Amino acid sequence: MSEGNENLVLEAKGLSKSFRLGDGSIRVLADADIRLEEASSLSIQGSSGCGKTTLLNLLARLEKADEGKVSWDGYEMEASSSPSSRESVMRADFLGVVYQAYYLIPELNVLENILMAARLSAGANRESMDRARSLLSRMGVSDKERQIPTKLSGGERQRVAIARALINNPRVLLADEPTGNLDERTGGQVMDLLLATCNEEKTGLILVTHNPSFAEAADSRVFLKEGKLSSRWEPEAEETKANDEDN
Amino acid sequence: MVPWPLYLAWKQLFPSGKKVSFFSLLSIVGVALGVNVMIVVIAFMQGFQQKFRKDIINAQGHARVVPLKPYADWSEIPARLRHAENVEGVTPYLQAQLLLQSGDYHAIPFCMGLQPEDGDEVLPVDDFLEEGMLRLQAHDAEDVTPLPTMEMLEDDVVFLSSQTANRLGVRPAAVVQVYEGNASLPESTGKRSVKVARLDPYVESGEWELLFEDQESCLVREAISGDEFTWETGEGPLDMGFGYPVFELSGGGKPFVAGDRFLFQVFKANKIEIFSPSMIEQAKADELIPPREVRVGGIFEVPWQGFQMEALIGTMRLMADMRAQESACDGFYLKFSGPVARDEAKLQAKCRELELVLEEDWAVVPWFVENAWFFELLKFEEYLMVLIMIPIGLVAAFAIAIALMTTVLRKIREIGLLVAMGGSRFSVGMVFCLQGFVIGSIGAILGCGLAILFIRYREVIMTFIVERIAGSDGQAGVAQFYDFHSLDVPFPWESSESLSTFLSFALFSVLVSTVAGLLPAWRATRLNPADALRSE
Repeated sequence: MSEGNENLVLEAKGLSKSFRLGDGSIRVLADADIRLEEASSLSIQGSSGCGKTTLLNLLARLEKADEGKVSWDGYEMEASSSPSSRESVMRADFLGVVYQAYYLIPELNVLENILMAARLSAGANRESMDRARSLLSRMGVSDKERQIPTKLSGGERQRVAIARALINNPRVLLADEPTGNLDERTGGQVMDLLLATCNEEKTGLILVTHNPSFAEAADSRVFLKEGKLSSRWEPEAEETKANDEDN
Repeated sequence: MVPWPLYLAWKQLFPSGKKVSFFSLLSIVGVALGVNVMIVVIAFMQGFQQKFRKDIINAQGHARVVPLKPYADWSEIPARLRHAENVEGVTPYLQAQLLLQSGDYHAIPFCMGLQPEDGDEVLPVDDFLEEGMLRLQAHDAEDVTPLPTMEMLEDDVVFLSSQTANRLGVRPAAVVQVYEGNASLPESTGKRSVKVARLDPYVESGEWELLFEDQESCLVREAISGDEFTWETGEGPLDMGFGYPVFELSGGGKPFVAGDRFLFQVFKANKIEIFSPSMIEQAKADELIPPREVRVGGIFEVPWQGFQMEALIGTMRLMADMRAQESACDGFYLKFSGPVARDEAKLQAKCRELELVLEEDWAVVPWFVENAWFFELLKFEEYLMVLIMIPIGLVAAFAIAIALMTTVLRKIREIGLLVAMGGSRFSVGMVFCLQGFVIGSIGAILGCGLAILFIRYREVIMTFIVERIAGSDGQAGVAQFYDFHSLDVPFPWESSESLSTFLSFALFSVLVSTVAGLLPAWRATRLNPADALRSE
C-alpha cells in the first residue's frame, strides 16, 4: 500500500507509452499518474485517439508500458514487464471491465455470460448464480436471463456487460466509453445505473467518456491531452473557467 | 466443476439457444465418417483373416505332423498323439500322384487318402461334400439325393472336387422324385411321404415305384429289372441290401391310403479309371496293366481357396495300392481343443512339445507356419489399408484446424475480453484446443456407433451396394470371392482384437483432432489482449 493513503485501491505512477510508427514513434502517454481511492470514481476525458483506452489497458495490465508502475490494492507491478500468471488470477477478482462494444459472448445466454466472469474467478456456484440474478434484477433485465445477446437491444447488452463486470465484486471497474454505442437517453440511464451500482457496491470506477455531463458525475475528473494528464479537475475551477468564457 | 476452458469450448460448439452449430455438425460428421470407414475396413480385413483362418483349419487341421525320415513307422503315432493334452483329433493321410480318366477326359488332381473310420474329427469332409452337392434341375421332379458322407468312402469309391468332376464330366449317384400322373405330391401337401434315406455308390440306375396297398403296406417295384419287394412300413426303413436305395418314411401328416404312389428315378454313379505313375511307366513298356476302376461317391468343395482346386479324396488303402507301398503314411492332420486351438503362441508351443514326444522322426508344423505367406500377404494388405486411410483422418484434421483457425480470427475480441476478465493466455488457447478434443471425442463415439451398425447390418448394406454395382446377377460372383454374409466380423465386446481396432481408431481421431486445435490455440495465446480488443 502506498504510504500516506490506506484507501488507495489503484495507483499508477509515471506511466509512459509510445507506439512505433514507421521509423519513428508516437508518444501517447508521458509520465502519467493516476490515483483512485476506494469506492470513488474518476472520469478521464480526452479527444479521440488521445490514448484513453491505452491508459485503461495499462492500468488493467493488458499492455506493457515503456516505464512506470501500477499498483493494485498495494500490489506494485512494473508496468513495463509482461503480466505474470498471478496478475491474471488477481485481475479476475480485482478488476471488472466494461467496453463500448459490450463484447458479450454470442454462444452464451445472458445468465451464462455473466457467470462466465465468475467461472474465470472462483467458479460458478449457487452463490454466484444468485448474485448474477440479483445484478440482472438491479440492471432491469431479469426477464432476459435466457436470451442470447444478439436478441437484446444495445442498452440491454450494456446492462448485461455491467452486471458481468460486477459479478466478482471487483475493487475497481474500468469502463471504456460504456455509452458510446447508445443514444443519449439510454446512455443516460445506463450511466446512472453504473454510477449508482458502483456506489452501492463500493466499487471504484474509472470511466473513460467523451460526454462531459457523464464525466462530471464522477467524483473527480482528469483530462488527457497530448499524452499528458492534467491535474485533477476541480468542479469549482471548471465553473470559473466557464464563467470567464461567458464573460 | 467443469474447467471454464472446457465449458466455453463446449458452448462455442453447442451454443445456447441453438441445437448445434453448422461448423460443429460438419466437423463431427467428418470425424465420425472417417472413424467409421477406418474401423469398418480394418474390421472386415480382420473378418477375412478370421474366415481364412477357419477355412484353413477346416481344410488341414491346426497342425500337420510330417515325417522327417521316409516312411518312418507310424502305427503307434496316432495313439501317442491322442494321449497328449488338448489333442482332439488325429487323422493320418497318404498322398499320391494319379492320372484320372473318364472316356476321353483326363485330370491329374491332388490326391489324398484318408481313413474312413476317422470320420471328420479333423477334416470336416461331410461339410465339404455338402458344399459341393449339385442338385439336378428337372420339371415335375425334385432331386432328393441324400447327402453323401465320409462313411460312404470305400477303397473303390472316391470323392472328387467339383472342378475335377466337371473336367471329367462325372457325377455321383443321384435320385429324383418324379411328380407325374398320380404320384404323390411333396410333403407340403400335408401328407406323409417317402424319402430315399441312403444311396450307396454302387446303386444301379432304375425307376422305382412305391405303391401303397393300405395304410402300412407298400409294393416296391423297379421297372427295368422287374424286382419287386413288399414293404411293411411298421418294420422301419426298407433296406433291400447292397446296391439298392434305402427308403424310409418321411414327415408326419395324414396317413397313407391305398393307391398312394411314389416314383423315384435313380441314376448310377459314374466310374473313373485311375493310373499311377508306375502303371504309366509299365504301359510305356507295353505291359498290359489294367487301370483301377473306382466310382464317384460324392463331389466336394473346400472353402479354403488355397486348397487344391482339382482334388480327389480316397481311402489310404487306395493310395497305398496305387503307390504300391503298403502301410505308408505321409503324415497326420491334428486338431486341438481349448486354448491351444485359439492361441497361436500356445499352438506353437504345443507343436514343439509334440515334437519332443515324437522324438526326432517327425516335425509338427502349425497351420500359420505352413500358410505364413498367405497371412503375411493379408497383414501387408491390412497395413496398406491403414496407410491409405490415415490421410482420411488427416484430411478431417486439416478441415478442423482450418475451421478453428477461422474461429480464432472471428473471435479475436472475445479472446482479448477473456484475458481482460482474468483468463490466462494458456487457458484461452485451451478453449480452441479443447474444441478439437470435443469434436474428436464425439466424432469417435459416433464413428464407433456407425461402425457397430455397419457390422450389424453388413449383409443388408453390402447386398444393397453390390446389387447397385454388380446387379443381382453379379451378386453371386461377388459373393464367391467376398463372402460378406458368412464373414465373421466380431463386435468390440466379442473380441479383444476388435476392441483394440475400435479403441485405436477412436484414440487416433481424438488425438488428431486435438492436435488440429493446437495451431489455432497457439495463435490465440500469441494474441496481445489489448490489440485483440482494439481489432475491428
